[in-house]
Amino acid sequence: MQAIEAFLRGRIWIKQFVPFPEEQIQEVIDKGDATIVSGISANGECARCLENSKEYVIPFECATCGKVCRYCRKCIRMGRISSCTQLVLWRAPSIPHARPRDFGWQGHLTPQQENASKAISESIRKNEHHLLYAVCGAGKTEILFLPIHEALQNGLRICVAAPRTDVILELSPRFQQAFPDAAIHTLYGNSPEQTDYGEIVLATTHQLYRFQEAFDLLFVDEADAFPYSLDQSLERAVKKAVKPFAPIVYISATPSKTLQKQIITHSKIFRRYHGAPLPVPTYQALWNYERHIRKGKIPAALKNWIENRLKRKQPFLLFFPTIELINQAAPLLKEIEQTIEAVHSEDAERKEKVMQLRAGKLAGLATSTILERGITIPHLQVAVIGSCHRVFDRAALIQIAGRVGRSGKDPTGEIVFFHNGITGQMDAARADILFYNKEGES
Amino acid sequence: MNCCLCDQQLRFVPSWRGIFLYEVPEIACRACKNEFAKISLTGCKFCSKEGGLICEDCRYWEEHGYCEVIESGKSLYGYNEAMKDWFHQYKFLKDVLLAQVFAKELREALAHERAMVVPIPLNKEKLHERSFSQVDQLLLSADIPFQHLLEKCGETLGTKNRQERMATQQLFRLNGEAVPKQLLLVDDLYTTGTTMRQAAKTLKEAGAVSIRTLTLIRA
Repeated sequence: MQAIEAFLRGRIWIKQFVPFPEEQIQEVIDKGDATIVSGISANGECARCLENSKEYVIPFECATCGKVCRYCRKCIRMGRISSCTQLVLWRAPSIPHARPRDFGWQGHLTPQQENASKAISESIRKNEHHLLYAVCGAGKTEILFLPIHEALQNGLRICVAAPRTDVILELSPRFQQAFPDAAIHTLYGNSPEQTDYGEIVLATTHQLYRFQEAFDLLFVDEADAFPYSLDQSLERAVKKAVKPFAPIVYISATPSKTLQKQIITHSKIFRRYHGAPLPVPTYQALWNYERHIRKGKIPAALKNWIENRLKRKQPFLLFFPTIELINQAAPLLKEIEQTIEAVHSEDAERKEKVMQLRAGKLAGLATSTILERGITIPHLQVAVIGSCHRVFDRAALIQIAGRVGRSGKDPTGEIVFFHNGITGQMDAARADILFYNKEGES
Repeated sequence: MNCCLCDQQLRFVPSWRGIFLYEVPEIACRACKNEFAKISLTGCKFCSKEGGLICEDCRYWEEHGYCEVIESGKSLYGYNEAMKDWFHQYKFLKDVLLAQVFAKELREALAHERAMVVPIPLNKEKLHERSFSQVDQLLLSADIPFQHLLEKCGETLGTKNRQERMATQQLFRLNGEAVPKQLLLVDDLYTTGTTMRQAAKTLKEAGAVSIRTLTLIRA
């Protein structure tokens, strides 16, 4: 494959930023291998992120082309696209060629994992969408390795998309190890640019905007919010990034009812890889917790719980509903124990603090929902403060409870919902966890 | 509609003023607007820098051949994190809409201005590349009439360090329009004052009598 083809195939890229000389780009366009599309179509749709609402596609007097242009605010952080921006798109079709590929994964699967793995491979062969419905700690990544290896041997181009950068960064070394001879790209906001052809692309969902009809197989991790997420553009991104009729595998611990109905083939795993049941949340009242914390006092019940954890030297996470409350509680928690830190989404040292907790240098972390997923720390105990708050819906609470008891050596742990009144969402989360445990037994 | 900075839903806040008088619509939420640091009236009389009546930079200018080219000057905001983010998204990510964030404040500052409002221009290539002039756009959003009198010569200051900036000679030339006696120069960001001093000097030599300045941000 020519270098320029390797770069452009499947990508949709601002012409100005294609890392090849102008003449070379023109040459492939003249040959008909690539084509130019306008950044914003005549009816006001962004060619990259498919945004078309007037709120995000904004008209302005453009000094570059001298006309009234429109530009897209939705994907502006990837470099602004306006009506007079030229995007390059590769058009020539590719023929996948099958060949044997290395496989560096040597772990073994539980019978349930193996069934799911086979079912996914089967769906891929039949070109069907698939839903992997598996509880937190079921070992989802391992389930994907065999199907991905098979697809790789068949010459398919594969993408694994997840909503968070943390998850992508965690997947990357595991994939490098499992597929040592594959070109693996890891894409997230401000990731270093990779100009060759990626056979396996690990990307945050936003990065999918940069692709068009690129993938023969796409995995959407943490697809809870699909199909109707708050941000519909992410769903559009998934649809745009895959080739027509390519299979999509949705992975979730808490799929929406609609997704369960929409996708016909499911595989379900309600048991963790180590075989122990999921820890079930307990309720504890923490009346007027917000007022107490605002007035500079950690409520007694919570203080007790924290002191118990400190006594037993168990690491713990305290989930708070708002950043404001974290900021108010942080100094009070420090009074109990110096090594309790606070993190939230805008904290640049988030990663380091989680590492310190894992290494035992911190006693505990107060956090927003940002740490609800993808965190594995042995012996972890969790408290949700204000589990009645609207940010803690069923899915979020199940995910948070899923942080506890993940390692085989210590599969138990405490998950406490400190509340100011029990909500339907709390009950739904608890009922679901009990249901998983019951199903998992059989 | 969502806030143009944090993308959270905007709540409409009615006010008596808004009922009886024309108000420039807000496109950023209160929480985001509160992040910007307004500069109080004390500080340097030329550039609003905190501290004494005349700051060090301005004293340098006054003592080195730019004496009294500027009568007085004002900056509206400090250059804090929120402002850096706004500036980056506006000028370098080219998010033209963000000009409206300060439309109300600029309108308040300029609505009763008697002097001719003169924006600092970009050179032609820069304008073509950026697709809009950031100073003009701020004034357009605030609905303030203005008139260009200057043209930028080749050099740009953006990549220069402090010494290089202050030693730069001849940044502007006249564009041929008649220069009135009273002027108000407007720019987006005030760093060392090189731009303003040079522009003011060029205009003063062309017959302007009183030149004041207004910048959105004081770095």
